[in-house]
Amino acid sequence: MRTPIGTMHATMTFDNVEGTWTGSAVGGDGGPAIPLRDIRTESTADGEHVTWSQTITTPLRLNLDFDVVVDDERMTGHSRAGRLPRTAVSGTRDPAR
Amino acid sequence: MLAQIILFDGFDPLDVIAPFEVLSAGSDALGGAIDVRLVGLESAGPVTSGTRGLELNATHVLEPEAPGMVILPGASGPTVGDPDLVRTIPVILAGLAGTALPDLIRRAFAAPDTLVATVCGGGLALAMAGLLEGRTAVTHTLGNDVLEATGTTVVRARVVDDGNLVSAGGVTSGLDLALYLLEREFGPRIAYSVEQLFEYERRGTVWRAQGHAALTV
Repeated sequence: MRTPIGTMHATMTFDNVEGTWTGSAVGGDGGPAIPLRDIRTESTADGEHVTWSQTITTPLRLNLDFDVVVDDERMTGHSRAGRLPRTAVSGTRDPAR
Repeated sequence: MLAQIILFDGFDPLDVIAPFEVLSAGSDALGGAIDVRLVGLESAGPVTSGTRGLELNATHVLEPEAPGMVILPGASGPTVGDPDLVRTIPVILAGLAGTALPDLIRRAFAAPDTLVATVCGGGLALAMAGLLEGRTAVTHTLGNDVLEATGTTVVRARVVDDGNLVSAGGVTSGLDLALYLLEREFGPRIAYSVEQLFEYERRGTVWRAQGHAALTV
Protein backbone atom coordinates (compact mmCIF):
# COMPACT_ATOMS: atom_id res chain seq x y z
CA MET A 1 0.00 0.00 0.00
CA ARG A 2 1.10 3.54 -0.66
CA THR A 3 1.29 6.02 2.24
CA PRO A 4 2.62 9.59 2.61
CA ILE A 5 5.94 8.14 3.73
CA GLY A 6 6.28 5.54 1.00
CA THR A 7 5.19 2.04 0.05
CA MET A 8 4.43 -0.30 2.91
CA HIS A 9 3.98 -4.06 2.82
CA ALA A 10 1.72 -6.06 5.10
CA THR A 11 0.08 -9.45 5.38
CA MET A 12 -3.66 -9.33 6.02
CA THR A 13 -5.53 -12.31 7.39
CA PHE A 14 -9.32 -12.58 7.11
CA ASP A 15 -11.47 -15.17 8.90
CA ASN A 16 -15.17 -15.77 8.64
CA VAL A 17 -16.78 -17.37 11.67
CA GLU A 18 -20.52 -18.00 11.27
CA GLY A 19 -20.97 -15.07 8.94
CA THR A 20 -18.87 -12.54 10.88
CA TRP A 21 -15.59 -11.36 9.43
CA THR A 22 -12.54 -10.75 11.60
CA GLY A 23 -9.05 -9.94 10.45
CA SER A 24 -5.59 -8.75 11.32
CA ALA A 25 -2.60 -7.19 9.60
CA VAL A 26 1.10 -7.68 10.26
CA GLY A 27 3.44 -5.09 8.80
CA GLY A 28 6.44 -5.97 6.68
CA ASP A 29 8.65 -4.52 9.43
CA GLY A 30 7.48 -7.25 11.80
CA GLY A 31 5.40 -4.98 14.03
CA PRO A 32 2.50 -6.19 16.17
CA ALA A 33 -0.64 -7.71 14.60
CA ILE A 34 -3.23 -4.97 14.12
CA PRO A 35 -6.93 -5.85 14.18
CA LEU A 36 -9.00 -4.94 11.12
CA ARG A 37 -12.21 -3.16 12.12
CA ASP A 38 -15.63 -2.88 10.50
CA ILE A 39 -14.95 -5.43 7.78
CA ARG A 40 -17.76 -5.35 5.24
CA THR A 41 -18.11 -7.37 2.06
CA GLU A 42 -20.41 -7.13 -0.92
CA SER A 43 -20.50 -9.29 -4.04
CA THR A 44 -20.27 -7.23 -7.22
CA ALA A 45 -19.79 -8.01 -10.91
CA ASP A 46 -16.07 -7.17 -10.53
CA GLY A 47 -15.56 -9.50 -7.57
CA GLU A 48 -15.91 -9.30 -3.82
CA HIS A 49 -15.91 -5.68 -2.69
CA VAL A 50 -14.28 -5.43 0.78
CA THR A 51 -13.89 -2.42 3.07
CA TRP A 52 -12.27 -2.17 6.50
CA SER A 53 -10.44 0.22 8.83
CA GLN A 54 -7.18 -0.22 10.68
CA THR A 55 -4.97 1.78 13.01
CA ILE A 56 -1.31 1.23 12.28
CA THR A 57 1.34 2.12 14.85
CA THR A 58 4.54 1.22 13.00
CA PRO A 59 6.44 2.58 11.16
CA LEU A 60 4.14 5.48 11.92
CA ARG A 61 0.84 6.09 13.69
CA LEU A 62 -1.89 6.40 11.04
CA ASN A 63 -5.61 5.64 10.70
CA LEU A 64 -6.31 3.97 7.36
CA ASP A 65 -9.58 3.08 5.62
CA PHE A 66 -9.40 0.44 2.90
CA ASP A 67 -11.65 -0.18 -0.07
CA VAL A 68 -10.62 -3.05 -2.36
CA VAL A 69 -12.05 -5.56 -4.80
CA VAL A 70 -10.88 -9.16 -4.35
CA ASP A 71 -10.93 -11.80 -7.07
CA ASP A 72 -9.50 -15.30 -6.69
CA GLU A 73 -5.85 -14.42 -6.34
CA ARG A 74 -5.60 -10.65 -6.26
CA MET A 75 -6.94 -7.58 -4.58
CA THR A 76 -6.76 -4.03 -5.89
CA GLY A 77 -8.19 -0.77 -4.60
CA HIS A 78 -7.19 2.09 -2.39
CA SER A 79 -6.66 3.23 1.15
CA ARG A 80 -7.16 6.64 2.62
CA ALA A 81 -5.65 8.28 5.69
CA GLY A 82 -8.25 10.70 7.02
CA ARG A 83 -8.91 13.40 4.43
CA LEU A 84 -5.74 12.78 2.48
CA PRO A 85 -6.15 11.82 -1.17
CA ARG A 86 -6.70 8.09 -1.60
CA THR A 87 -3.68 5.98 -2.52
CA ALA A 88 -3.30 2.68 -4.34
CA VAL A 89 -3.42 -0.71 -2.62
CA SER A 90 -2.64 -3.98 -4.33
CA GLY A 91 -2.13 -7.49 -3.03
CA THR A 92 -1.94 -11.15 -3.90
CA ARG A 93 -3.29 -14.13 -2.01
CA ASP A 94 -0.76 -15.83 0.24
CA PRO A 95 -0.19 -19.19 -1.50
CA ALA A 96 0.08 -20.90 1.89
CA ARG A 97 -3.56 -20.11 2.62
CA MET B 1 15.02 27.29 33.39
CA LEU B 2 16.41 25.48 30.40
CA ALA B 3 15.05 26.07 26.89
CA GLN B 4 16.36 23.24 24.75
CA ILE B 5 15.86 23.45 20.99
CA ILE B 6 16.47 20.12 19.28
CA LEU B 7 18.57 19.83 16.14
CA PHE B 8 18.21 16.78 13.89
CA ASP B 9 19.45 16.01 10.42
CA GLY B 10 17.22 17.96 7.99
CA PHE B 11 15.79 20.49 10.49
CA ASP B 12 14.28 23.73 9.19
CA PRO B 13 16.65 26.59 10.15
CA LEU B 14 14.00 29.25 10.79
CA ASP B 15 12.00 26.83 13.00
CA VAL B 16 15.10 26.78 15.23
CA ILE B 17 16.38 30.34 14.95
CA ALA B 18 13.06 32.13 15.55
CA PRO B 19 12.50 30.60 19.02
CA PHE B 20 16.24 30.74 19.74
CA GLU B 21 16.40 34.50 19.22
CA VAL B 22 13.06 35.27 20.89
CA LEU B 23 13.85 33.21 23.98
CA SER B 24 17.39 34.60 24.15
CA ALA B 25 16.07 38.17 24.01
CA GLY B 26 13.47 37.23 26.62
CA SER B 27 16.20 35.85 28.83
CA ASP B 28 18.14 39.10 28.50
CA ALA B 29 15.03 41.06 29.44
CA LEU B 30 14.72 38.81 32.51
CA GLY B 31 18.34 39.20 33.56
CA GLY B 32 19.33 35.74 32.34
CA ALA B 33 16.46 33.56 33.61
CA ILE B 34 16.50 31.22 30.59
CA ASP B 35 19.48 29.13 29.52
CA VAL B 36 18.71 28.76 25.79
CA ARG B 37 20.50 25.84 24.17
CA LEU B 38 20.65 24.09 20.83
CA VAL B 39 20.80 20.38 21.65
CA GLY B 40 21.43 17.09 19.87
CA LEU B 41 19.38 13.97 20.56
CA GLU B 42 22.33 11.77 21.43
CA SER B 43 25.47 13.84 20.88
CA ALA B 44 26.62 17.43 20.63
CA GLY B 45 28.27 18.84 17.51
CA PRO B 46 27.36 20.27 14.12
CA VAL B 47 24.00 19.26 12.63
CA THR B 48 23.05 19.90 8.99
CA SER B 49 19.70 21.53 8.26
CA GLY B 50 17.48 20.68 5.32
CA THR B 51 18.15 24.05 3.65
CA ARG B 52 21.22 24.41 1.46
CA GLY B 53 23.42 22.47 3.87
CA LEU B 54 23.30 25.19 6.52
CA GLU B 55 24.79 23.85 9.76
CA LEU B 56 24.11 24.76 13.35
CA ASN B 57 26.08 23.56 16.34
CA ALA B 58 24.41 21.57 19.10
CA THR B 59 26.31 22.68 22.19
CA HIS B 60 24.70 20.13 24.50
CA VAL B 61 22.78 16.85 24.51
CA LEU B 62 19.05 16.98 25.28
CA GLU B 63 18.19 16.57 28.97
CA PRO B 64 14.53 15.56 28.68
CA GLU B 65 13.62 15.92 32.36
CA ALA B 66 15.25 19.34 32.88
CA PRO B 67 12.72 21.93 34.14
CA GLY B 68 11.79 24.31 31.33
CA MET B 69 10.93 23.72 27.71
CA VAL B 70 11.95 21.30 24.98
CA ILE B 71 11.30 22.64 21.48
CA LEU B 72 11.17 20.41 18.42
CA PRO B 73 11.46 22.10 14.99
CA GLY B 74 10.19 20.70 11.72
CA ALA B 75 12.16 19.68 8.65
CA SER B 76 12.86 21.48 5.40
CA GLY B 77 13.09 19.74 2.05
CA PRO B 78 10.85 18.75 -0.85
CA THR B 79 7.10 18.74 -0.19
CA VAL B 80 6.24 16.80 -3.34
CA GLY B 81 7.69 13.73 -4.97
CA ASP B 82 7.45 9.95 -4.76
CA PRO B 83 8.19 9.18 -1.10
CA ASP B 84 9.85 5.93 -2.20
CA LEU B 85 12.43 7.93 -4.16
CA VAL B 86 12.61 11.39 -2.58
CA ARG B 87 13.25 12.29 1.07
CA THR B 88 10.14 14.45 1.28
CA ILE B 89 9.38 16.29 4.50
CA PRO B 90 6.91 13.59 5.69
CA VAL B 91 9.58 10.94 5.08
CA ILE B 92 12.17 12.92 7.12
CA LEU B 93 9.68 13.50 9.94
CA ALA B 94 8.50 9.87 10.02
CA GLY B 95 12.14 8.79 10.14
CA LEU B 96 12.48 10.49 13.53
CA ALA B 97 10.27 7.71 14.95
CA GLY B 98 13.24 5.40 14.45
CA THR B 99 15.65 7.58 16.45
CA ALA B 100 16.06 8.27 20.16
CA LEU B 101 13.49 11.08 19.84
CA PRO B 102 10.27 9.24 20.86
CA ASP B 103 11.68 7.89 24.14
CA LEU B 104 13.29 11.24 25.00
CA ILE B 105 10.05 13.15 24.35
CA ARG B 106 8.06 10.55 26.31
CA ARG B 107 10.36 11.32 29.25
CA ALA B 108 9.90 15.08 28.75
CA PHE B 109 6.09 14.65 28.77
CA ALA B 110 6.36 12.62 31.99
CA ALA B 111 8.59 15.19 33.73
CA PRO B 112 6.56 17.47 36.04
CA ASP B 113 8.15 20.81 35.15
CA THR B 114 8.93 20.33 31.46
CA LEU B 115 6.77 21.41 28.57
CA VAL B 116 7.18 20.18 25.04
CA ALA B 117 6.75 22.72 22.24
CA THR B 118 6.77 22.10 18.51
CA VAL B 119 7.19 24.31 15.47
CA CYS B 120 5.96 23.40 12.02
CA GLY B 121 6.48 19.71 11.22
CA GLY B 122 7.83 19.02 14.70
CA GLY B 123 4.27 18.39 15.84
CA LEU B 124 3.67 15.98 12.99
CA ALA B 125 6.90 14.12 13.82
CA LEU B 126 5.69 13.49 17.38
CA ALA B 127 2.27 12.43 16.10
CA MET B 128 3.71 9.99 13.57
CA ALA B 129 5.80 8.53 16.40
CA GLY B 130 2.52 7.87 18.22
CA LEU B 131 3.08 10.47 20.96
CA LEU B 132 0.09 12.76 20.34
CA GLU B 133 -2.76 10.23 20.55
CA GLY B 134 -5.82 12.16 21.74
CA ARG B 135 -3.89 15.43 22.12
CA THR B 136 -4.86 18.73 20.47
CA ALA B 137 -2.23 20.26 18.22
CA VAL B 138 -1.36 21.98 14.95
CA THR B 139 1.43 21.59 12.41
CA HIS B 140 2.34 23.23 9.08
CA THR B 141 -0.78 23.81 6.99
CA LEU B 142 0.42 21.21 4.47
CA GLY B 143 0.62 18.59 7.23
CA ASN B 144 -2.61 19.14 9.15
CA ASP B 145 -4.54 16.46 7.25
CA VAL B 146 -1.83 13.89 8.00
CA LEU B 147 -1.72 15.07 11.62
CA GLU B 148 -5.47 14.37 11.86
CA ALA B 149 -4.97 10.87 10.45
CA THR B 150 -2.57 10.07 13.32
CA GLY B 151 -5.34 10.32 15.93
CA THR B 152 -4.50 13.91 16.96
CA THR B 153 -7.26 16.51 17.25
CA VAL B 154 -6.22 19.34 14.93
CA VAL B 155 -7.03 22.98 15.64
CA ARG B 156 -5.85 25.19 12.82
CA ALA B 157 -4.70 28.09 15.04
CA ARG B 158 -1.24 29.60 14.79
CA VAL B 159 -0.41 28.38 18.32
CA VAL B 160 -2.27 25.64 20.23
CA ASP B 161 -1.76 25.28 23.99
CA ASP B 162 -2.62 21.78 25.23
CA GLY B 163 -1.02 21.96 28.68
CA ASN B 164 2.44 20.41 28.58
CA LEU B 165 2.26 20.38 24.76
CA VAL B 166 2.30 23.72 22.93
CA SER B 167 2.37 23.39 19.15
CA ALA B 168 2.69 25.97 16.40
CA GLY B 169 1.92 26.03 12.69
CA GLY B 170 4.43 26.53 9.89
CA VAL B 171 7.86 28.16 10.00
CA THR B 172 7.22 31.79 11.04
CA SER B 173 4.76 30.71 13.72
CA GLY B 174 7.86 29.77 15.73
CA LEU B 175 8.11 33.50 16.51
CA ASP B 176 4.55 33.50 17.86
CA LEU B 177 5.18 30.28 19.76
CA ALA B 178 8.24 31.61 21.57
CA LEU B 179 6.59 34.95 22.35
CA TYR B 180 3.61 33.05 23.75
CA LEU B 181 5.90 30.84 25.84
CA LEU B 182 7.57 33.96 27.26
CA GLU B 183 4.15 35.35 28.12
CA ARG B 184 2.92 32.06 29.61
CA GLU B 185 6.03 31.52 31.75
CA PHE B 186 7.11 35.07 32.59
CA GLY B 187 4.19 37.38 31.81
CA PRO B 188 3.12 39.78 29.07
CA ARG B 189 5.64 42.56 29.84
CA ILE B 190 8.55 40.31 28.87
CA ALA B 191 6.82 39.12 25.67
CA TYR B 192 5.92 42.71 24.82
CA SER B 193 9.47 43.94 25.29
CA VAL B 194 10.76 41.33 22.83
CA GLU B 195 8.01 42.20 20.34
CA GLN B 196 9.17 45.82 20.54
CA LEU B 197 12.80 44.88 20.03
CA PHE B 198 12.06 42.56 17.09
CA GLU B 199 9.46 44.87 15.46
CA TYR B 200 7.09 41.92 15.28
CA GLU B 201 3.60 41.36 16.68
CA ARG B 202 1.94 37.98 17.05
CA ARG B 203 -1.26 37.35 15.13
CA GLY B 204 -4.33 35.29 15.91
CA THR B 205 -5.59 33.76 19.12
CA VAL B 206 -3.65 31.11 20.99
CA TRP B 207 -6.11 28.21 21.26
CA ARG B 208 -6.63 26.66 24.70
CA ALA B 209 -9.39 24.35 25.96
CA GLN B 210 -10.62 26.95 28.44
CA GLY B 211 -13.79 28.93 28.84
CA HIS B 212 -16.74 28.27 26.56
CA ALA B 213 -16.64 26.08 23.48
CA ALA B 214 -18.20 27.74 20.44
CA LEU B 215 -21.64 26.59 19.26
CA THR B 216 -22.05 25.79 15.59
CA VAL B 217 -24.23 28.57 14.20
